[in-house]
Amino acid sequence: MATEKARSSNPMGLQLRRFLLILFSLFVVLPLSSPSPTMHNNNWAVLVCTSRFWFNYRHMANTLSLYRTVKRLGIPDERIILMLADDMACNSRNNYPAQVFNNENHQLNLYGDNVEVDYRGYEVTVENFLRVLTGRHEAAVPRSKRLLSDEGSHILLYMTGHGGNEFLKFQDTEELQSHDLADAVKQMKEKNRFKELLIMVDTCQAATLFSQLQSPGVVAIGSSMKGENSYSHHLDPDVGVSVVDRFTFYTLAFFERLDMYSNASLNSLFTSYDPTLLMSTAYYRMDLYERPLNTVPVTNFFGSVMKTIPTDSAYTGFSVAHASEYTTLNAESAPSRAVLEDQVDHIKTHSQSGKGLQHSLNEWLKLLEGKIGEKDNDKLVAYGLGSMVLFLAISTWLSS
Amino acid sequence: MASQMLLSLLVFYFYSFHLARPIHCSLGSNGIDTASVSKEEFSEELLLKPLPDRKVLAHFHFTSTSPPSASNGRHHHLFPKSIAQLVKKYKIKELELSFTQGRWNYDRWGASDPLSTRNAKPPGVELWARFDVLTKEEIDTTWGNLTNSLSGLFCASINFLESSTSHSTPLWGFLPNNGDLRYGALPREAVCTENLTPWLKLLPCRDKAGIATLLDRPSIYRGHYHSQRLKLRSDRLNGIVIEQTLSAVLQPSDRTSWSMYQLFKKIITEKCALAKSSRVFVEIEGNLGSKNENILELVGEADMVVNDQNGHSTIYQYNVERYSEHEPLDIMVNWRDPLQLSFLQAPFHASRFLMGSGNERGSIAISLQSARNFTKGLYDGSNNCFTKVVVFQVVPWYVKVYYHTLRIYVDGEIRDTKDVVEKINITPSEDKVSPGTLEMMLRFPCGMISAALTLDFDKGFLHIDEYPPDANQGFDIPSALVSFPDFISSRIYPDSISSPLLHSYKGRNVVKSYTEVLLVPLTTPDFSMPYNVITFTCTVLALYFGSMINVLRRRISEEERLAKSNDKRRPGFIPLLISRITNKIRGRKEDLADQSQSSQPLLGHKVIFKVVLIAVVATLWHYFLNTS
Repeated sequence: MATEKARSSNPMGLQLRRFLLILFSLFVVLPLSSPSPTMHNNNWAVLVCTSRFWFNYRHMANTLSLYRTVKRLGIPDERIILMLADDMACNSRNNYPAQVFNNENHQLNLYGDNVEVDYRGYEVTVENFLRVLTGRHEAAVPRSKRLLSDEGSHILLYMTGHGGNEFLKFQDTEELQSHDLADAVKQMKEKNRFKELLIMVDTCQAATLFSQLQSPGVVAIGSSMKGENSYSHHLDPDVGVSVVDRFTFYTLAFFERLDMYSNASLNSLFTSYDPTLLMSTAYYRMDLYERPLNTVPVTNFFGSVMKTIPTDSAYTGFSVAHASEYTTLNAESAPSRAVLEDQVDHIKTHSQSGKGLQHSLNEWLKLLEGKIGEKDNDKLVAYGLGSMVLFLAISTWLSS
Repeated sequence: MASQMLLSLLVFYFYSFHLARPIHCSLGSNGIDTASVSKEEFSEELLLKPLPDRKVLAHFHFTSTSPPSASNGRHHHLFPKSIAQLVKKYKIKELELSFTQGRWNYDRWGASDPLSTRNAKPPGVELWARFDVLTKEEIDTTWGNLTNSLSGLFCASINFLESSTSHSTPLWGFLPNNGDLRYGALPREAVCTENLTPWLKLLPCRDKAGIATLLDRPSIYRGHYHSQRLKLRSDRLNGIVIEQTLSAVLQPSDRTSWSMYQLFKKIITEKCALAKSSRVFVEIEGNLGSKNENILELVGEADMVVNDQNGHSTIYQYNVERYSEHEPLDIMVNWRDPLQLSFLQAPFHASRFLMGSGNERGSIAISLQSARNFTKGLYDGSNNCFTKVVVFQVVPWYVKVYYHTLRIYVDGEIRDTKDVVEKINITPSEDKVSPGTLEMMLRFPCGMISAALTLDFDKGFLHIDEYPPDANQGFDIPSALVSFPDFISSRIYPDSISSPLLHSYKGRNVVKSYTEVLLVPLTTPDFSMPYNVITFTCTVLALYFGSMINVLRRRISEEERLAKSNDKRRPGFIPLLISRITNKIRGRKEDLADQSQSSQPLLGHKVIFKVVLIAVVATLWHYFLNTS
């Protein structure tokens, strides 16, 4: 009965929907003329190794490799929260004191000379981890131990350790469940603590850990699907234990080719994982993420490269700063300031009236470009082809 | 050429700096006196000391001073700002923080020379601080904030000392004070590169120039012992003085000779340009004129050789500014017979161990063994000679020490505690609130060969959340401190060397030694047990309640009735029929328009419209073409 009714009211609904669509599109077009949402303006990385004990050496090597990579690609130490559950570098079992290697060729000391660990040993707990994410610390906790991100932040969250179906083990005593993680991310979203979040997990059954996520702007990748194990890559006979996990190893192999200015996209990273080499299936979840992955450079998360916006005139930026800085200008310069501010306003609101016509035209062009580039690419091409065919037919008919 | 230009630039810089200084000072209120005070200074020193067991002690010593801050405001030239802020915010009078790994071997590396009495530290992290003009409650909150700040500053879990269970308030056993001192130790804290990085950031040249370039991480951490320390003192007269030291006992690869390059894999090419003085010392125990000359040989000409006033040691001084990239400083020492090298032992060798077996109780024993050369020198045969020994130990609450069980043995015989204990201060532990602190001053006769103290304890139970992840490994109890207030270690060198390191040797450094860390195995529960119990009880409860509710609430007759009515309803002919009929009666046309034909006519309209439009256009074109 209910379905029949729904079906019967379908045409009306369709019309209503069309109307709504038109209305909606109007609303979509209208707000575009007002300032767009917050830009991506800073990068943070939270790198977590959750395993204790010497035989989990590889988990620390994984985390430190990522630490080194993001540092190389431009995220400074004060924006990296590094959590290491045990001390491997100066462990009495380590034959190479103050050194950690992720390859048996020992060419690269991951520990380096300038490592800064924010949480270590017994401090790496589920509670502290969730506190870091949600920012709910005690008053005395120093700034270096806090994730001070904002609504313009891109955050990389990398976790490695021993996991299972919908959980990640912390130090053999506690578990972080997928619900906890999803809840923390939700809180972060509501507190405007990130713009976009990339969660990368290298554990067994990693894909299950982010199954409960709901917040928009989150993209997640795990080393293995449900029911699969993640394996270590190779054993170093000198160190005596496995030194790196497969997923991280191939992630690093991907990043070793890149420098700070490379344009490799997230998609190319995600497709670079070969299930036969990984011995597990890397799984990524992107249904919460708006942007197409092939347009997002990896440096949006793994580096700290800001998007530069070309301005029309070289000095607008300065004048803006100038105008806002020196509020106590004398009477003579006041009119010019007014003009400047006017221009700035035009840029901001994209209005066509007034003196900033050139700017606004440009903005419209940009907008069009954006619209075309974003969604209707295929449609436009199809229309173009169709019109060309029509034009050809008519012209041939005319000439004949 | 380039280096020469650089050098001349540097010289010019310093020259101008010195020129500028008097002008700056003349602006100040009182002339020359403030000139020496109101300047931030930094000096770097390294002391190398061959040890009798062929190892080498490398002791880095960096001193920064900041004048009373009124003149500079918040700005600092050389002094680390983070430390200055810390001192200001928490009103610190004195503070010492040490990160140590390995244990100082008092028997082999010396126990009563200033270097060991000042720099030997217990394994892990030790922190103590004295605060200025604060009430007890204020001190406790300040201590908490301080530990958190330091943990952020030095990448360590010092914030674990915040809780009242892990710090104590010794009155005289550690350092005489009036209740403004807090002491805490974390014996199991790891020490590695991440602690050195922020420590080096406090130096004006970091590890880019000067003596600190020698701090090659793998070489330092490969050593048998390394201790990194930060000590600061602040008062209104002298401002803030921080002393950063790093001592490492290294094993040279070659047993007969070593050089600085072999030890550190690096060499000094220049001094830190911001340092007031930059010097390397080689200290050799024993008198210059005596047999030590035959024991080892120093390659490299020293700038100055001085002797201690008491003839205990000789210092060879090298000024780093004399050396350059072309002629780096690399001191080399050749051993001849290291076993003959003399060193000073402490009056007693102190060690601490556990007694008893089982997981319920045990006892702690501290044993003191007199060093032979000391008893010989001091014992004059009379009974009026006594040696004072101060014992200070902090025990966490889960080791419940019964202080009334204190037994003292002297030379194997039990003694009445009243005869031996001169002064005692006990703060018993309170479960989950505070640790137990023992401060005890003992008086032993001079001729004593050995002494032992024992204390019984019960092992407490922790809450399941309080166990660390590696509870199976046991629990570390921080080192006890045994000090000998009658014995002072000091070395007095001529004043011609104005070195902060050698100056610190002059002070009254009481001879003391830290004992071993105790490893107490506690009963650890089977951590999976709670889960087993929970799952098991839950299953039982679910079965019980499920069946009970089923029995109590289920009404079978009702169910049967419902099932029957459901059976009736299932075909649903009548309601369907009724609905169809009513539909037919009420609005058949609407229904039809709505249901099937609604979309087709619309589509048809569209199609027809399009076809017509195209036809019109075509005819128009045709017409237009024809007419033209």
